[in-house]
Amino acid sequence: MVCGLKGMMWVGNLEKAARKAAVWLVNKRPIRDIRDWGISFSLWPVHFTTACCGAEFAATSAPKYDAERFGFLPFVASRQCNLLLIEGTLTKKMAKAALWVYEQMPEPKFVIAMGACAIDGGIFWNSYNIVRPMDILPVSVFIPGCPPRPEAVAQAIIMLQKKIRKGELVKYEEMEVVK
Amino acid sequence: MSEFVETISRSEDGRFLELLIGPQHPASGHMRLVAEVDGDVVVSLRPNLGYVHRSVEKIAEVKKFLQIIPLVERPSLADTTANNLAYVLALERLLGVEPPPRAQYLRTLLAEINRIHSHFYGIGIHGVMIGSSTAFMWAFGDREPLIHLAQELTGARITYSYIIPGGVRRDMPPDFPDKVEKVLRYIERRLEDYDKLYVRNPVVRARLEGVGVLKKEDAIRLGITGPNLRASGVPYDVRKADPYCAYPDIDFNVITREEGDAMARFLVRVGEIRESMKIIRQVLKKMPDGPIFAEKYYKMLPPNLKKYYEETKEVKFPGIFANLRAPAGESVARVEGGRGEVVIYIVSKGGMNPYRFRIVTPSFRNAVLFEHLVRNVRVADIPAIYGSLDYFPPEADR
Repeated sequence: MVCGLKGMMWVGNLEKAARKAAVWLVNKRPIRDIRDWGISFSLWPVHFTTACCGAEFAATSAPKYDAERFGFLPFVASRQCNLLLIEGTLTKKMAKAALWVYEQMPEPKFVIAMGACAIDGGIFWNSYNIVRPMDILPVSVFIPGCPPRPEAVAQAIIMLQKKIRKGELVKYEEMEVVK
Repeated sequence: MSEFVETISRSEDGRFLELLIGPQHPASGHMRLVAEVDGDVVVSLRPNLGYVHRSVEKIAEVKKFLQIIPLVERPSLADTTANNLAYVLALERLLGVEPPPRAQYLRTLLAEINRIHSHFYGIGIHGVMIGSSTAFMWAFGDREPLIHLAQELTGARITYSYIIPGGVRRDMPPDFPDKVEKVLRYIERRLEDYDKLYVRNPVVRARLEGVGVLKKEDAIRLGITGPNLRASGVPYDVRKADPYCAYPDIDFNVITREEGDAMARFLVRVGEIRESMKIIRQVLKKMPDGPIFAEKYYKMLPPNLKKYYEETKEVKFPGIFANLRAPAGESVARVEGGRGEVVIYIVSKGGMNPYRFRIVTPSFRNAVLFEHLVRNVRVADIPAIYGSLDYFPPEADR
């Protein structure tokens, strides 16, 4: 802000004010819609295969089902991705790795649980070595099936996109400024 | 390679670095590789397994005999028929049931279709690992027609549960041979394209030739099976060594190569796709007529299900089969799957579920092989070797 003619104008913390304004603007109607539209078409799942449903996940990204047309592009580094697909059973050993990967991903981030095992154990419900993903991760969409067909995975992507565009999942809040 | 690295620790004298690769890495294998590197050279590598251990063997002890059929398929999802067939063969030996000839041929047909698309899966994943996305796209695209064929035969995309004690679940649709012929001609044409894209590609040859050489003696000593063994020049194939189903009547060659490197393992898979196509053509030509379900069990079906079977040629088990009891004893069966020899061993005490159940999978042997091969190679060779083994972690961990 510019100084007045006589003395100073009280503006407070300029950076904090700018941040507040940005959050207000990003959550305001037309901008929010554009933001959610953009997020919904750039869902990049991280290349993290937890169990055998990965075979069908690979088929989803392959030519016949071509999930890239939804902006769904599997990518290697977890820091560049915003979607974690739990593909099938999550064992105790793998759950630790899944949490690590999830924590490394930047906000906003989403989780899809694929397969009956990721819902409630599926055929391995009485195994001594499995974890229910919803106990440790905030899952947005579940895909039933053992294994789910690639069409089902595509439908889950579309469902997630719809949820994002309704504004249910992405919320920007004011962050503390670290000096 | 920067994506591979998660944490680094240095050895005491400061010479070697310990690299932890995975379990989230581009190869998307469900295991962590602990590599000790000296500059760019990998001194030793220890695969850290167990990320997909789901206790299949223990669960099988509390499931009934028919419920185990879908269970044994899950560990090896890209090659389900091999596990299904091995389990049912072991169970049939215990029960003393002999399937009719038509069922034997249908089993062979599905096993070979599955072998082809399992090999395409391996080729595609190998392509991703050495950075050739085209190979992934092509192989996974060409896998779909075969999956579609299997789907017409069985009703499922990859988890077929088609083979049941005493026969198979469904008969072949009447126009199936024509569709198979169409697909096979398409695959034949595509394999020529693969030659141009992949086999004669200088980049691929530079990445794969002479990398991860497995000597013949080492292959035998480590107990390797399947295409990885045959790429080292050992002509061992369970289909020839211990024939099952319709394989004794069928003429096919065992593909071997002498080099034993990553390229040879890839070329053996391509050769086996060609052999499998030959087998499928012979099976369709020689397919005998007759029932698809053993007489012993057919008699036990109630009248409405008998009528259903006569009309649709689909077998539906009545509820009493859930309480199938196997006589006390042990049985073992082995089958040549896409990745190698699958052995299933059942101990029964005469109850409704097995007393002990054991699966010996080819992928676990490949994990041992992986540790053996990655010694004094470059870091960039790790994915090239890893992919060439066609390693499927859920199968190794069970």
